[in-house]
Amino acid sequence: MSDLDKAIAQLRACRPIPEAQVREVCHKARELLIEEANVVTVTAPVTICGDIHGQFHDLMELFRVGGDPPDTNYLFMGDFVDRGFYSLESFLLLLCLKVRYPDRMTLIRGNHESRQITTVYGFYDECLRKYGSANVWRYCCDVFDYLALGAIVLGASNTLESANEATAREDVEIEVCNADGDAISHFGRRGKASNSDQGSPNGKTERIGPPGSGASGSSGGTVGNPAGAVLCVHGGLSPLIDTVDKIRLLDRKQEVPHEGAMCDLLWSDPDEIDGWGLSPRGAGFLFGADIVKMFNHRNDLSLIARAHQLVMEGFKEMFDASIVTVWSAPNYCYRCGNVAAVLELSEDSGGQGFFARSNGDVGRSDGGANRGVLLDSDEGARRGPARRYRVFQAAPQDSRGMPAKKPVADYFL
Amino acid sequence: MADAPSANDELYPIAVLIDELKHDDVLLRLNAIHRLSTIALALGPERTREELIPFLDGQTAPSAPAPNQSLTPLAESVEDEDEVLVALSEELGSFIEYVGGPQYGHVLLSPLENLAAIEEPAVRDKAVESLNKICQDLSSQQIEEYFIPLTIRLSKADWFTSKVSGCGLYTAPYKKISPQVQESLRTQFGLLVHDETPMVRRQSATNLSKFVKEMTAPIVIEEMIPFFQHLAQDDQDSVRLLTVEILIAIAEVVPKDQQASHSVLLTSLRSLIEDKSWRVRYMIADRFEKIAKAVDDETVTRDLIPAFVKLLKDNEAEVRTAIAGQIPGFCSLVDRDTLLKDIMSSVEDLVSDPSQHVRAALGTQISGLAPILGKQETIDHLLPMFLQMLKDEFPEVRLHIISKLELVNQVIGIDLLSQSLLPAIVQLAEDKQWRVRLAIIEYIPLLASQLGVKFFDEKLSGLCMGWLGDTVFSIREAATHNLKKLTEVFGVEWASEAIIPKVMAMGSHPNYLYRMTTCFAITTLATVVSLDVIGKSILPMLEKLVEDEIPNIRFNVAKTYAELVSVLKRLPDEGTIYSLEKAGKTDTTASPKSTELIQQRILPHLEKLQKDDDVDVRFFATTAAGGVPAVGGEPMNTSP
Repeated sequence: MSDLDKAIAQLRACRPIPEAQVREVCHKARELLIEEANVVTVTAPVTICGDIHGQFHDLMELFRVGGDPPDTNYLFMGDFVDRGFYSLESFLLLLCLKVRYPDRMTLIRGNHESRQITTVYGFYDECLRKYGSANVWRYCCDVFDYLALGAIVLGASNTLESANEATAREDVEIEVCNADGDAISHFGRRGKASNSDQGSPNGKTERIGPPGSGASGSSGGTVGNPAGAVLCVHGGLSPLIDTVDKIRLLDRKQEVPHEGAMCDLLWSDPDEIDGWGLSPRGAGFLFGADIVKMFNHRNDLSLIARAHQLVMEGFKEMFDASIVTVWSAPNYCYRCGNVAAVLELSEDSGGQGFFARSNGDVGRSDGGANRGVLLDSDEGARRGPARRYRVFQAAPQDSRGMPAKKPVADYFL
Repeated sequence: MADAPSANDELYPIAVLIDELKHDDVLLRLNAIHRLSTIALALGPERTREELIPFLDGQTAPSAPAPNQSLTPLAESVEDEDEVLVALSEELGSFIEYVGGPQYGHVLLSPLENLAAIEEPAVRDKAVESLNKICQDLSSQQIEEYFIPLTIRLSKADWFTSKVSGCGLYTAPYKKISPQVQESLRTQFGLLVHDETPMVRRQSATNLSKFVKEMTAPIVIEEMIPFFQHLAQDDQDSVRLLTVEILIAIAEVVPKDQQASHSVLLTSLRSLIEDKSWRVRYMIADRFEKIAKAVDDETVTRDLIPAFVKLLKDNEAEVRTAIAGQIPGFCSLVDRDTLLKDIMSSVEDLVSDPSQHVRAALGTQISGLAPILGKQETIDHLLPMFLQMLKDEFPEVRLHIISKLELVNQVIGIDLLSQSLLPAIVQLAEDKQWRVRLAIIEYIPLLASQLGVKFFDEKLSGLCMGWLGDTVFSIREAATHNLKKLTEVFGVEWASEAIIPKVMAMGSHPNYLYRMTTCFAITTLATVVSLDVIGKSILPMLEKLVEDEIPNIRFNVAKTYAELVSVLKRLPDEGTIYSLEKAGKTDTTASPKSTELIQQRILPHLEKLQKDDDVDVRFFATTAAGGVPAVGGEPMNTSP
C-alpha cells in the first residue's frame, strides 16, 4: 500500500494526516492541476456533485449511495470547505483521491475555495485548531488557485435504463431516486402526447423561447442541443463570457477576484428575470432564462449543471431544464433539514458508437444531424442527456462516530 | 527448588522464601507465595505446622510478636501488598494436606483469621472462602473448639471489616455442630443483622439467604423470619434489595401450605414489590420467576399477577427490562386464561416501550410465549407484536425477533409463518430507507438457515436478486455479501443454479455502475464456488466485461481476476475454498486444471489490460498480474 493509499484510508476514517504529508499531497495536486485546462473535459459516465461544505460524514453517505471512488467517476463542483466541522478531512480526502485517480475524479473551484472566504467561514480556524498553525491552510489555498473553473461532460446517454429491468425506457428523461430506494418519479420527454403536460420536475412548464434557441417552436423537451455537452460550473454565467472558449482564455491561477469573469463564474445565480441583474450576494450576477438558452445554443450545450445555492429537494431544474442546481450537503449546516442529491449522467448505452464531441465549441458538432441517420424518426423527442438524480439524507448520528453532543464551534454563529 | 535444601542448612527453604518475599518485584513475591506448597512439601508436615505457619501467621499479623526473631523485619514489607495477601489467602485454603491432614487443619485458621480482618475486601473475601473450604474438612470437635470461637471473635470485633468477614463464616460450620452451639451461633448472627453499620447488615443479608437453607423450617419460621423482616425494613435500599434472595430462600424452606399462616412474609413481599427504590424493584423483577416458584399458588394468583403487571408498567426502564426477561418463565406458571386476560395487554404495551433496551429484552423473550399460548393465540396475539417489532428502529430488537423465529415456526408452522411474517419482512426489504433494507439483508442468511432452501427459493430468492440492482451502492454491495453467505448455507450446487445466472445477467446492464455489481459479486463469491462454475460461468462473463467501454469496469475486472487467481492457486478439482477450509484442509494446492485456467484464460486478458489506454486499468492489471506465478519457472513445486 502506497503512502497515498494509506493517507486515503486514514482520511476516510476522518483522521487528519500529518502536516508534512498534507504539504506533499498539495504539491502533487498542484503539479497535476496546473496541467488541466480552465474547463476540464470529462467523458460520461460521471456522477456530478454539488456543495459539500465540510460535512464529512455526509460525503461518506454520498459515497455509500453513489458508489466508492474510483469505481464510480465523480465530478465535484466546488465548495468543499467551510461551515461544516470537517472541512479539512473532506477537502484532503477529495484531493488525495484526485491525486491518486486523476481520471476518475474531477474537482472544480467554488467561491469558498478562496483565502478571503475561508478566513471568515471556518476553514482557516479549523486548520489552526487541528494543526496549531496556519501552514496547512496555506497549502490548501495554494491548491485552490489551481483548481479548474468548469468542466464539460461529453458522451452522456440520452436514455435512462432502469435498475431492475435491464431495458432502457426511451421516453423517460429524468429519474429521481429517493433516499435510497426506488425511483420515486419519472419525467417523460416532452413532445410525447402521453405526458405532454409534464415538464421538468420542479421547473416551470411555460416555454420561453428566445430567438435562435432550440427551445422555440415545435421542439419539445429540453432546450438546447440534444447531442451537446453538459457544462459544469460552480456559480453560473457571466456577462463577460459568451462562449466556453472565453473561459478557457482566463488566467485562473490567482485568488478569486472581486469582480470580472472568473468571479462571476463562481458567484452568479440563475433567477426568474430577463437578462442580467444585480446579485444580492455582492459578487457575481443574476441571470435569466434567456441568457441560459442563448448561451447553451451558442455553445452547443444541452445543460448547465451548477451548485452554489441550497435547494431543499437536493436538485432543481430551471428554465425548461436548461440549467440545474445540484446540492450535495444534506441537512446543511446540520440544521437546514434539506435533502441532498447527486446527478448521474450515464454512458451512451445505445451501442451506436455515437460520441458527441461538440466540446463546447461553436460549430464543431452539427447537433443532431450526425445522428439523424440513425435516429431520424426520434428527432425532436430525444433531447438533453438522461439525468438520474439520487437523493439522499444526512448520515445518521451513529455512523458519525461522534458523541451526539455537538461542540459549537466559535466560527459557527 | 524442592531438591535444593541440604541437610546442613535446615532453614534453607524458608530463607529462599524470605528472600523472594523481600524482593522489590511484586511478581516475584507473588510467585514465591504460589510456591508455598513446594516449600511446605520440602519441610514436611511437622515443620510446616511448627515453623512455616507461625511464620506466615507473623506475616499476616505484623503487630503480634513473631515466633522467630530473625523473621520479624519482613512482616511490614508484605503487609501492604494486597495482591500478595490475596494469593496467600488462596494458597492457605488448600494447605490441609501439607500440615498433616484434617486433624491438623485448625492450625491454618490463625493466619487466615488475620487475613480476614484486613481492610482490603479482596483479601478478606479470599480468606473467608479459604476458611469455609477448610471448614469442610474439620471435625465437629475441631469446629466447636477452633472455628466457632474464630467466627464469634470476628463478629464481635470493633471494626466493621472483621464483622463483614464474620458474616460469611456461619453457613459452613452450622450443620456440623451441636444444637446448643447452633443456637448461640444464631444469636450471634442476630447481632450482625442488627449491626449499626450498613456494610455489616448488607453482608449479613447476603449470607442470611444461604444460612437459612441450612436450617429446619420451624427454626426458620421462629428466628429467621424476624431477621428477614428487620432487614426488609432497613432504611438503606442497598440492604433491602438483598432481602429478595432471603425471601426466596425462606419461601423455599417453609412448606407452601404453611406460608399462608405467616402473613409477615407476604406483607414484606408486597412492600418490596412496591418499594420506593427502583433498585429493590429491579431485584424483585429480576428474580420474579424464582419468587413465583417458591410461593404458594394463591399468592401467585392474588399478589404476583397484579405485581407482574405493575412491574411491566414500572417507571424505570431497568425494572421493565428485567421483568421483560421473566415473561415466558412467569407466564408458564399461570393458567392461559389469566395470562390472556390480565397479563397479555401489558406485555403488548412493551412493544412500543420508549426504551430500546426494554424492547430488545422483550424481543429475546417473546418467542418463548408461543409454546405457552398455542397456535391460535400465537396468531392472534404474538404475530401482531412480531410485525411491529420487526419494524423497530433499533436493529437489535429486529435481530432478536428474527433470530428466535424458529420457536414460533415450531408452533404455527412454516406456512402460517410465511403468510403472516413474510409480507412484513418483504415490506422491510423494500423500505424506502436504505439503511432499513441493509439491516434486513444482514438477517437473510439467518432466516434462510432457519426456514430452509425450499422456502427460500419460493419466497426470498427474488428479493435477494433484486438487491443486486438496488439504486444504492451500499445495498448492491451488501447483496453480494449476502449471496456469499447464502452459498455457504445452501451449497455450491444451489448457487450455480440459483445465483450465478442472475449475477451474470447483471453484467449486461446498460449502466456501468450495475455492471460493476457483477465484478463485485464474483470477487465475493470466489471462495465459495467450484472450479467448474469458475470455468463455465464466471470466466466467460469476465471475458466479455474485459472489453467494456468504460475503464471503471475494466479495472474492476482486473481486480476480480486478482481475486480469482488467488483462489485458483489453491483450488483443487472438487470442492470450494470455503468447504475445504471448513473441513480443516488449509494447505491445498491447485489442480492442473485450475493452473491451466490461470494460464490460458486469465493471464492473456491481464496482459492485454496492462497495455490499456487508461492508467488506472494498467495499474490494477499490473497489480493483479503480480500475484500470478511466473509462467516458465515453477515457483512452488510442492507435489513430489
